Amino acid sequence: MSKLSKKQKWLVAGLLAVALCFGISPVTGAMHIMEGYLPMGFCILWYVISIPFVVWGFIQLKKSIDANRRNMAIIAMCGAFIFIISSLKIPSVTGSCSHMTGTGLGALLFGPAAVSVLSVIVLLFQAILLAHGGLTTLGANTFSMGIAGPFLSFGIYMLGKKFNFNKKVTVFVACFLGDLFTYCVTALQLALAYPSELGGYSASFVKFLGVFAPTQIPLAIIEGILSVIVIIALESYAKPEMRSLGFIEQEA
Amino acid sequence: MVIHWLWVLPFVLLLIGGLIYKAYRHRGEHHHHHGFGHKHGEATIAVDTYAYHSGIAHWNPAFKVVLSIVLLLFCVISDSVEVSLIIICFTTFVTVVLGDLSFHHYFEMLTIPLVFLIVGSVIILINFSWTPMTNVILCLPVFNFFVIITHDSLYVTVHLWARAFGALSAMYMMSLSTMSNEIFSVLRKAHVPALLIELMNMIYRNIFIMADTQNRMRNAAESRLGYVDYRTSLKSFGSTISNLFIVSLKRSGHLFDAMEARCYDGELLFLETEKPLNAKLILMALGVVAYCVLVWVMTRGV
Repeated sequence: MSKLSKKQKWLVAGLLAVALCFGISPVTGAMHIMEGYLPMGFCILWYVISIPFVVWGFIQLKKSIDANRRNMAIIAMCGAFIFIISSLKIPSVTGSCSHMTGTGLGALLFGPAAVSVLSVIVLLFQAILLAHGGLTTLGANTFSMGIAGPFLSFGIYMLGKKFNFNKKVTVFVACFLGDLFTYCVTALQLALAYPSELGGYSASFVKFLGVFAPTQIPLAIIEGILSVIVIIALESYAKPEMRSLGFIEQEA
Repeated sequence: MVIHWLWVLPFVLLLIGGLIYKAYRHRGEHHHHHGFGHKHGEATIAVDTYAYHSGIAHWNPAFKVVLSIVLLLFCVISDSVEVSLIIICFTTFVTVVLGDLSFHHYFEMLTIPLVFLIVGSVIILINFSWTPMTNVILCLPVFNFFVIITHDSLYVTVHLWARAFGALSAMYMMSLSTMSNEIFSVLRKAHVPALLIELMNMIYRNIFIMADTQNRMRNAAESRLGYVDYRTSLKSFGSTISNLFIVSLKRSGHLFDAMEARCYDGELLFLETEKPLNAKLILMALGVVAYCVLVWVMTRGV
């Protein structure tokens, strides 16, 4: 193995820098696994894991719609809202285009069950209309974006509410960790499908985490901050609507 | 080994011939750039617009959806570079030549996923090690560790490329030629629960309304220096979103009233144009799928 000359080292460093610059914009684009990225076995596995959650969410949704037809319009609006916030460019320091997952906020407002169903539809639209994610990887993406992240966010939010923590802090932590968790699950999904030959699953997991970390951690913080801003605004301007969603308890 | 690439040749020739024919047919026309870009809010509308204007919009929608999904699944299951190349050539031919979509627009649609693919595959391609290795393709010392590309990782990456690109072009064949409401009606015929279809329909409509509203609010904020620095832009973005939420929540109430006034009882029905199945098209599709299976069988185990 011959040593590299100084020039060659610069070349490698330069190529890495270019790869990173190009990488950041689309990769943060959304932590979606692309069409055809996973082998067939894994596609089926993640579909099978996601289905019980989605069916449970679907039954919950059906109940709430049967109870009041009007909820249909609200739920559909919520789905569109998740689509819009997860495909909007948010202001970011590097100037790259980055997006919120939006599902953490969705879970706080509408509950994790509804979000699991809505995120299936939203991910399907993103796959068809924007080529974010894909049809074969829909199961895997649903699990990371629509089930793992929202359930964690909702759990943390409920805990915070029970112990009467500051609401803003709780919302921030819930959305921040929900976003981070989504990204860890995606890295895990990729690592399971593509274990590194030198070091197996764990090495591959660290590789995937490492590549996404520089962009995903600031993004998670921004997502947390934005969620807090949105919640504050909603509580001050849209009390009756929030009450109808059950986000604020009915006053006696 | 070389002989296997000959299997792909007919489809490469088909694509090249089609592109030349298309260029010949459109000779002398000025190239119009319609201002579709990578802007996100409008990108949703771009696919939709292309689908409405597609030259194969009159094909039976169920046929297009089924053919795309069969090719997509076959691409992922076979995991064969030759089959993927055939599918890429065929679907590009259908979308660009038969569908008469400008190649420039098609390429633009592909760039974002492709860049993602390249970057994503780099992670799989390279391995890190503290010690140098022999019998590998590349072993580069970087600082105090080594970047290694092995034969296996190169093999996996090439297959990943072919599979993802093939699957993507197969999906584009569907989404760039089939209007969304037709996709929904195909799903309805496939016995997807009615409630889910209703939700899809309404979410789809709401997306366009909200994207439009958001655009206008963003313009309004931007023209008032709402995005002048980072702190302000975060604040503006947050309030735009929450305002969007409130406005749309109110609007969804109006929407429901309007629907109920027109006798909505749980099912939205749209008038659909009848698009009969064409025997020639079915033969063509069967031919392509059979050819893919043949190539897969012939090139296996190499």
